[in-house]
Amino acid sequence: MKGKKMAMYAAVAGIIAGGSAIAGGLYAHSAQPLFGYAQFYGIHSKYLSGVHVLVGIGVIMVVGGLISFKWPSVGAVIVCLGAIVGLIFTYNRGQYHWTPLVYYWWAPWLFAWIAGIFAGLSMSQRVQQLGAQKDGSVEPS
Amino acid sequence: MTELLRNEGLKRVRMRLITAVVFVFTLTCSGSFGMEDVVSSSGPGMTLLMILILPFLWSVPMAFVASELGSMVPEAGGLYRWIRRAMGEYWSFQAGWWWTLSLYVDSAVYIALALDYLEAKYAFGGGTRAIIGISLVAVFTFINIRGLELTGWSLTIIQIAVMVPLLIFTVWGIAKGSGNPFSPVLPEGESFLTSLNLGLAIMMWMYAGWESLSTLAGEIQEPQKVIPKALMIGTPLVIITYFITVFAAIRVANIGDPNGWMNMWTGGGGIDFVAAAQTIGGGVLAYLMLISAVLSNVGLYAGYLATGSRPAFQMSRDRLFPKFFGIAHKSWGTPWVAILVMALINAVLINFNFDALITIDVFLLMFPYVLIFISVIVLRVREPEAVRPFRVPMPTWLLGVWVAAPIAIAVIALFVNGVDWMIGGLIGILTGPIAYLIFKSIYKGVKDDELEGSTVTPDGALTTFGAEVEGASA
Repeated sequence: MKGKKMAMYAAVAGIIAGGSAIAGGLYAHSAQPLFGYAQFYGIHSKYLSGVHVLVGIGVIMVVGGLISFKWPSVGAVIVCLGAIVGLIFTYNRGQYHWTPLVYYWWAPWLFAWIAGIFAGLSMSQRVQQLGAQKDGSVEPS
Repeated sequence: MTELLRNEGLKRVRMRLITAVVFVFTLTCSGSFGMEDVVSSSGPGMTLLMILILPFLWSVPMAFVASELGSMVPEAGGLYRWIRRAMGEYWSFQAGWWWTLSLYVDSAVYIALALDYLEAKYAFGGGTRAIIGISLVAVFTFINIRGLELTGWSLTIIQIAVMVPLLIFTVWGIAKGSGNPFSPVLPEGESFLTSLNLGLAIMMWMYAGWESLSTLAGEIQEPQKVIPKALMIGTPLVIITYFITVFAAIRVANIGDPNGWMNMWTGGGGIDFVAAAQTIGGGVLAYLMLISAVLSNVGLYAGYLATGSRPAFQMSRDRLFPKFFGIAHKSWGTPWVAILVMALINAVLINFNFDALITIDVFLLMFPYVLIFISVIVLRVREPEAVRPFRVPMPTWLLGVWVAAPIAIAVIALFVNGVDWMIGGLIGILTGPIAYLIFKSIYKGVKDDELEGSTVTPDGALTTFGAEVEGASA
């Protein structure tokens, strides 16, 4: 039961993570339409801006959050990987970090981590350890 | 009995107190190389004050907490096992993963730094650099696999070679140098907070490592007695070493120029310990100091190769990591596969320029540290009657107040050390949940009180896990 609750928290956190990335992207676009155009590992600015990445990955993270309702470990991995890719994108041309874009990734990162934590705790409850089958107990998490 | 079962296959050696102190000194200090950068970025007075004050807020709490937890849970894997007992499987895996990830990078840095010192002197090419680097890794990998006795002897010899030139320099430098090393306290135009920017990061790095020796607890006889004693002796030793050597270096840097400290930095062109030795002792002392600097980093590598490989071994024994990491050498009783894997990664990494990764690993270390501090309080509350051969001499509430200081410093450090830290560190943190979800789904984990992750039952028969380990090592 506790594991299921944790999985639900993971899903909600994942959705908030994705939602905050999307919201950040839309806000950035409304405040500064050309925000965040930069070259990223050979992908020219014309095709991929900070806004594109925020919204695009945000959608993927929301999907990850939704998946977490059913499969928390799969969903949380998607959410966390989304945040990782987003953070990597802030690394601009290997020279310096693109600080203004970093601010937009704070909330998605935090909620992605929370989603990962809840998914992990859920898994530690649901997946029986070797030796736990006899009495059905698990270690505290 | 618990640790004997859990640490099945590991050979316990009798580590003398002096050897354990050498281990602690190596893992937390190994000379003062790197402090030069703190002086120029934070100011000479601030540097000396940080050397004296920071330990009581940062490393002394860790030394005491590591002593208490290490005496209470004297098991291989050290911090990983403490956190598991206090906070369960998930958080212990996170700490073990972040710590391992951090040290896989961190230990490679030491070989790279040693090579940098040699390259600055002898200007050899990339091929020679790679050969020397890989040779160093190979030698210390063998020494580590051979066992803790040989590793201890190696570190003792290395630390003697490191400290003799440093002590000669210190005495000479204090006598021949000039100026008040405490003045100015801060660089001109800098505030207290801005002066901490880089200095705090380096200082925290210099004062880290107190928990490391605990990872070897499964291979030391009576670790619950030896390790706390070594930490208590090592703590003042490290503070004194840092203080007197940096005090002398600032006085030497200020010879002929009261602002000479502003030119103190490592990496060429600045006044580092080698250049300062040249100023007062000429070529001979400079050469000895160069050897000292190289061996300091080599010693750090040898020490961290030993301690950095153990949590992965233990996580494997707990069925949360690939099984081959849990294989112990049949004759020498060391986790040779875990050591070898770490060494192979190091051998690859030393050939790359990865300055940013150096700072990432400090960021990653902060999180396990916070978990260690929380664990000591949790265990005090949850298991007040548990046997603790070493107990921090203060009530739980006061201990809570005391460990709040290093937790606060760790959190502050996350924000004052620049964006480079954050991005890499934040990415590293997110790999923790991902790794757990993957490994847990594959390996399941093992219940703590079910044979304590042993390869054999109390009757001497192989467990399921033991059979797998035996099969893998056959």
